[in-house]
Formats: sequence, C-alpha cells, structure tokens
Amino acid sequence: MSANSWLATGNFHTTYQQEQKTFFTSLDRSVFSFFLLLLFVWPLLFPLSNKYMLVVDNILVAIVAVMGLNLVTGFAGLISIGHAAFVGIGAYTVASFCRTMGDSHIIVTHFWPVLIVISGLVGAGFGALVGLPALRLKHLYLAIATLSFQMIFQWVINFMSFFNQGQTIHVGRVFWLTGKVGRTDHYFFWYYIILVVVVLLGFGVRNLLKTRYGRCLVAVRDNDRAADAMGMNPGLTKVYAFALAGFFAGVAGALHAYLYRGVGFESFTLHESVSYLAMAIVGGLGTLNGSFWGPVAIKFLDLQVEHLAEIAGQYLPSSMNLATALKPFTFGLVIVLFLMFEPRGIANWWRIAKSYTKLWPFRY
Amino acid sequence: MAHLNISDVTLSFGGLKALSNVDMTIEPGLITSIIGPNGAGKTSMLNCVSGFYHPTQGDIFYKEKKLTHASPHQISNMGIARAFQNLELFSGLSVLDNLLLARHQNLKYSFLQAVLFYGKASRVESENRSFVEGIIDFMELEAHRKSLVGNLSYGVQKKVEVARALTLAPDILLLDEPMAGMNQEEKEDIVRFIMDIQKERNITVVLVEHDLGVVMDISDRIYVLDFGEVIGSGSPEEVSQNPKVIEAYIGEE
Repeated sequence: MSANSWLATGNFHTTYQQEQKTFFTSLDRSVFSFFLLLLFVWPLLFPLSNKYMLVVDNILVAIVAVMGLNLVTGFAGLISIGHAAFVGIGAYTVASFCRTMGDSHIIVTHFWPVLIVISGLVGAGFGALVGLPALRLKHLYLAIATLSFQMIFQWVINFMSFFNQGQTIHVGRVFWLTGKVGRTDHYFFWYYIILVVVVLLGFGVRNLLKTRYGRCLVAVRDNDRAADAMGMNPGLTKVYAFALAGFFAGVAGALHAYLYRGVGFESFTLHESVSYLAMAIVGGLGTLNGSFWGPVAIKFLDLQVEHLAEIAGQYLPSSMNLATALKPFTFGLVIVLFLMFEPRGIANWWRIAKSYTKLWPFRY
Repeated sequence: MAHLNISDVTLSFGGLKALSNVDMTIEPGLITSIIGPNGAGKTSMLNCVSGFYHPTQGDIFYKEKKLTHASPHQISNMGIARAFQNLELFSGLSVLDNLLLARHQNLKYSFLQAVLFYGKASRVESENRSFVEGIIDFMELEAHRKSLVGNLSYGVQKKVEVARALTLAPDILLLDEPMAGMNQEEKEDIVRFIMDIQKERNITVVLVEHDLGVVMDISDRIYVLDFGEVIGSGSPEEVSQNPKVIEAYIGEE
C-alpha cells in the first residue's frame, strides 16, 4: 500500500492481513497514541483533589463494567438488568478473601492483581450460570431472569452474616513496588492501575470482535436460527456471552472494592444496574467506543447536576433538597432524549465525524 | 450408494400430519428437486433434514450417520448446508461478515489467540477471508462485499443467502425456493449459479421450487409431494407423465 501512509485516501490493501489492522493510517495510530499518552500524563501535570480523582476513577471502573454489558446486551442482544449484581460478585469475591483471611492478609495486599483476575473468573462463572436460562428464554423473559438474579444477589448479601449483612467490609491498603500505597496517593495509584486494565481489555475486545469469538455474538443477536444452521451452537454462544460479561463485571467489581477500600451492598443495587444499561445506551449499544463515551457522559452529567444543585441550594430553602430530585430527573431525561433522537448513541456521532475525515482531502 | 437416505419419515404436529411415510434417496452429484402444491410439506421435509424439526417416526441417514435427532449446527458441520426461503440473514452485518460467520467451525484457534490476535488467529482469519473471497467471486457479489445486508435489494439478499450456505463448503446444499419472488432475469442468474454449483463444485443440490419450468429443465430427479405424501418420483419426463401428479397440479376433469 502506501501512497501516503497518513491518509486513508489513495491507499489500497494488497493482503488480507493488512485489512485486519486496528489502525489503518499512521494518522489514526499517532492520534490514538497521543491521546493515550495524554491520559497517562495529565494527572501529573494537573493534580486533582481526591474528590475529583475519585470521580475519574469511578468513570474508569464503570467503563470496564459497561464494556462487559455492551458485549452481552449490545453485541449478543441479550438484555441484562442484573449487571450490577455481577459487579457485586467481583467485589464480594475480594471481600470474602478479606473476611476469611483478614483484610490486611498478604494475599489481599500484595497479590491484588491475582485477586482481580480471580474475581473476574468468579464473575464469569456466575455469568455462565445466570446465562443458562438463555438456553430456553428470549427477549423480555430473559431480562426478567437476569432481574431475578439481581434480587437474589441483594437478598443473599443482606441476610448472610458472612457478608456482614451488606454493611461495609473493609479492604486493606495494597502494596506496590514502592511500598504501601498511602492515603494521599491512593486514588492516583488506582487511576493508573484501572487505566491499564481498561486499555488491555479494550484492545482485547477490539481483537475479539475481529474473530469467530466476537462474530458469533452478533450472529445470535441478528438471527439465532440462521446461526444454528451455520454451525454455531446458539445456546452455548449465549451462555458464553453472559460469561464474558460476567468476567468484565467481576474485574470491575474487584477494582471497585480496592478503590473504595471497602465493599457495601448499596453500590450494587438495581439502580446501579439500570445506570449501567443507561450508560451503554447513551454511549451506543453494539459499539466498542460506546462503552467509553457512555460512562464518561453520564458521570460527567451527574457531576454537573450536583454542582447546579449546590448553587441553586443557596437560593432555595434547604428543605427542598434539590440534588436528590434533580439527579434522577436529568438521568431519566437524558435517556429518553437519547432513545428518541439518537438511539445509536454518542458512538454514532463519532462514526459520522470519522466518516467526514476519511475521504479528506476530497469531499466525497 | 445413496448419499442421503430418508426412510419412512413421518412428521406430525398434534393431529396434523405434515409428512407421512416419506421415502427419498438423494444420489450424489445430482440435482434433486422436491415439488408440490402449497402446504404439501416441502419445507417441512427440508426442516427435517437440516435438523430444525425431528421426525416423529422414521430415520434420516447421511453416509451411514443417523441425522434423525441431531441439531442444526451438528448437521451443518457434517456437510449439509441450507439456504432459507424467507431470508434469514444477519441483517446488521456486511455481506463479508455474513459469509465469514459461516466459516465458524473452520476457524481453528483458541480464545486466547483470538484476544491477542497474534500469529495463528490472524493467519487463519486471512486464509478464511481468501476462501470467502472465492465464494464472493463465484456468486458475483463483489460490488456488495462491504454493504450491510439489510440495505440490499431482495434479489441480492437471496444470492447472499445461497452464497452463505456455499461458504460452509457443504457436500449437500439444500435450497428452499431460491427463486421465489424474483424476475425472469434474476431467475436465470440463479439457475446458472445452481448448475455451476453442481458442475464446478461437485455439490449435491436439493432444490425446493415452485417454478415448474425451471425444475423440469435442470433436475436430474424429482420427488412430488402432496398432503405430506410422495405421489410421484423419477426423471422429469416420468414425473410429467404421472397421472397422479397431473391430477394434483391441474385437477381432475
């Protein structure tokens, strides 16, 4: 190829391997690398206070979770209303290690990367288990099955003394190469860890979607009868989709547990499940980059609404408690507006923007 | 030795008998057609062979292997591919992806290799891509390679449907009314493709079709179904002389 490797125009692929590339032009690759570098560098240049760093960390954790949800709901077309429960499974995997061995046991504090992977695998296991009804159920009925899993999860956590009846279970501070990660560095440290996880998983999904393991998801979404005739086992594929989502959720849960240094059940309620779903819809179902846009947009909106409520609170009587009313209101409004005017989500704007630049310097 | 042996197959839904005591043998390398009036059980027959229905009685053998209770994906992996009458394509995907999906079982690499997309996964994917390109070339779909299937015209979608079944590299191809709803030109196209599939690729074709002119012209063997029973079989000449067949199609005087 290569008339000019910086432009898409005028370049033709000569082998099928060239067409498999994630980045087609040098421009794509360098813009992406620069953006990635920026993500790694900015906290050093503009240090945020702990409060805002936590918000940023939260967004990253949500991205991990929504990537999983997007695989099962966006790509495989199986609505899951129990995603927060899977995230909870991951978090409570870490918590049960803390309960049985003590929250500052060496496994919890030194081998946390292993524990994060284990949480992911436990999440995948539960995902496969909850996915089993998908062998018989479809559409709304399946959604109800996942909803019931959410309820079962909440009840189990609330009534088992092993899980402290849903009260916070403490998780100890972790160690890094430089020693114990202290109070001042905590959110800063986890920002980098979660960012690395996001990047790794993001590339993993990008690659997966180019192979049979990704395509079979879309096949059962579009037409599971035909998928069956084409040599895929649709039932197994659906269970696999749930397991995949469970893995992402489990990892997100473990990261959440370490980030908050504690696990309590209120972070994994039905409300959270619905917000994950909202993030996936706002970002764009069935797209990889949608899993990034959605959490950023929703969490950023949340922050702005909080600010607005604070300002308005100064002029209004405190009994009105504007923040609690405004948050669900804007949240609902945004989802309704997106469903009405841009059901394909923010990812669609990104697609349109990219298609404009693709033909440059020609107009069409 | 027959390729596909359907012996004494009965399919009933409650009290309704869709097929009763059907016997058929599909010989290798030939075009075998199944014809009959509406509701005669032609598609039910194909559904039984491809595993979407399981016969209530009787057996289906393919090269000594029993297919009677196998599921569709097992049957397609044995080498029996099927194109649907009402389009059952993956409408949200491009033509290329639709065809690549049919290569599912031929893509041999592990999950981990897929996630890393390094070495084997990449090589196997590009090998299969060139196989798929061969099919695209054969079915003359080059212009539509990257377009979403849902946006294509009906005639082209029918062609994609046949192409997708071909991509499975089958021994037997079951075509369910590939010419329904097409104009004369598109019909001629499809007929040419069917003959090429048989001659160049040595694939046994089982054709369910309403257009009697086409069926009489290209079939090597014909089975006529009426109310779930075989009322006639043989070469096109034999069938067209068969009084029972004439009665079923034209009616008594």
